[in-house]
Amino acid sequence: MSSSRPSPRRRRFTPGPTALLALYPSAWRRRYGDELAALILDMHADGREAGARVRTDLARGAIRERLRGAGEPSRRVRGGATLVLWAWALFSIAGAIVTKTSEHWQRALPRAATAHVAFSTLTALAIAAAAAVVGAVALTLPSAWRLLREGGWARIRLRTWLAAVLTVLAVAATVGLAAWAHGLSPAARNGHDGLYAAAFVAWATLAALCLLAWTSVATRLAADVRCGRAVLRLHAWLAPGLAVAMSAMTVATLVWWAVVASHAPAALTGGSAGAHASPVVPMLVLAAALMVLATVVAAVGAVRAAGARGAL
Amino acid sequence: MPVTRARANDPTLLILTSLASGEKHGYALLQDIEQFAGVTLGPGTLYGAITRLEERGMIEPVAGSGRRRPYRLTARGAEELDVALAELRTIADEGRRRLTARAAPGGAAA
Repeated sequence: MSSSRPSPRRRRFTPGPTALLALYPSAWRRRYGDELAALILDMHADGREAGARVRTDLARGAIRERLRGAGEPSRRVRGGATLVLWAWALFSIAGAIVTKTSEHWQRALPRAATAHVAFSTLTALAIAAAAAVVGAVALTLPSAWRLLREGGWARIRLRTWLAAVLTVLAVAATVGLAAWAHGLSPAARNGHDGLYAAAFVAWATLAALCLLAWTSVATRLAADVRCGRAVLRLHAWLAPGLAVAMSAMTVATLVWWAVVASHAPAALTGGSAGAHASPVVPMLVLAAALMVLATVVAAVGAVRAAGARGAL
Repeated sequence: MPVTRARANDPTLLILTSLASGEKHGYALLQDIEQFAGVTLGPGTLYGAITRLEERGMIEPVAGSGRRRPYRLTARGAEELDVALAELRTIADEGRRRLTARAAPGGAAA
């Protein structure tokens, strides 16, 4: 006699949970995807409902694996450090914008303690973080040099040429712009001369592209370079340190901006008479957005690098 | 940094404990852990822990049938399990000692 209720083993399989496997990184899926799918099917065949708890668990697992990165530990440390380097390049562009915007605020607000503390913190952290990045790159140089001698040059030739051309253009543009600025009044240099302002934006864009191009060369090399365990461990420690420094600098910048904007907004746009005195300066908005984006990218890289540290 | 925390419901510790009695595939691990620890691991949690344990050389896959791949404990995994269990025992013993002292005449419970 057949039962009116279908046995658990005969229930129709809903593809939802196994479809969630697509959220996992492809390298992870190649290694564990079939096994995890088999486990889900076994659970279903045994009458276990693949409810919200299972689906949430799979989604969380996928996020964890994506944050963790794929491949062997040394590859994950390099990948994480590479993300942090990209984040640092973006952060440097934001930092340059803040530097330009903060040329005049100290004269307008000589006694604003909060703004001074925030700006000093930003400056000190920027110096420390830049030193850490330079140190980390310097430690990688011997391995990078070895890779180049073993045929690695072909992998970065095009990128290097592009970066070199952009560098030459940026240097020429810097000399030209400096000569032009020399003959202008402070007001003209701070937005009253439309042509100069446009040239300045073009120069800044060129300088940013130059930085990104060299970062691209460095990260391409970093993808294949074979560093020693000690260097990798150091990178895995530095990555979270830089991510924390970037988040602290972002907060310091926002605090500084809030104080200056509330007491002397004109100081953010040059401080000259007739200058636009809105606290919402488009360039600072761009800088803040870049800082937040860079901090998020750095945090992902830091999680990836630090997570692989124990397995090195 | 040890991958296994001395915490009774840590997935890696539960997997190592389960594999101490012999090789098992994913679903067998899930069932065994439920039976001896009363903990139901989600499939994503289970395979996240398997990934970390395999990467650190504490478990290794053995040839399986079809898509089910069994795992077994390695010597390193057994060593890690031993350390974690010793830590748990220290905590358990200390807890027991304090409870006994508390229940004794003149103890905190008196």
